[in-house]
Amino acid sequence: MKTTKTVTLQPPPAREDGAEEPDAMGRPATQRKSEVRLGREVQARIGQQLRAMYDEFVNEGVPQHIADLVRRIGDQDDEVA
Amino acid sequence: MKLDPAIRDQVLATVPSLRAFAISLCGNIDHADDLVQETLLRALAHIDSFQPGTNMPAWLFTILRNLFRSEYRKRRREVEDADGRYAETLKSHPEQTGHVEFSEFRVALAKLPSDQREALILVGASGFSYEDAAAICGCAVGTIKSRVNRARTRLADLLAITSVDDFGPDRATRAVLAGGGRN
Repeated sequence: MKTTKTVTLQPPPAREDGAEEPDAMGRPATQRKSEVRLGREVQARIGQQLRAMYDEFVNEGVPQHIADLVRRIGDQDDEVA
Repeated sequence: MKLDPAIRDQVLATVPSLRAFAISLCGNIDHADDLVQETLLRALAHIDSFQPGTNMPAWLFTILRNLFRSEYRKRRREVEDADGRYAETLKSHPEQTGHVEFSEFRVALAKLPSDQREALILVGASGFSYEDAAAICGCAVGTIKSRVNRARTRLADLLAITSVDDFGPDRATRAVLAGGGRN
């Protein structure tokens, strides 16, 4: 298997607070033109594909059997505890 | 004891993302739904250990991640192996995963070591800070950063994304350029 190019990677600017929007990775706005050797465009592309895939699943919402499960347990009395 | 409806709603609100995390981790929707269900059973059985006002998503993701890892240690071959057999399964049967459109990306994602995959998903898709991701994975922040970087580098390699020219605005152009990476 061929080895990945040995580039020196510096972490992209970290989101230090957890409060930012969930899709910050790879967004040009949060990526300075910096020492990220992979290239911000490459990172952005990967980030977009990752989020597109993930969001597709998120948008499926809560499967009915899981919603039922949570409600059922939530309504149970002490015998479950 | 009855579950506080506010807590219950927080749990339910987290489920879509928790489930997306599970599917992204294990690559199989049925397996992911089992993981989510088991996670919720455990979480609700130990809801007293959740501190109201703290990060519900991080708490649930931690439980799911630990469940997955303990399973993974038992069934390593099924989840990931050095030959990428699992990735081959995805490639052969993208319909099993339900989302053919992303199969190329998912095959590449499945080829990552699981520690890199989980770090990338948590930070890049689930929207956790590096600090939260580190807490979820039980490792140092620097370790998460390093894993995310290695994951990106490896994905770029696997998907043949090497320069800005490879992903211009035209999707068809990208597909042609990335065509060598298929099959």
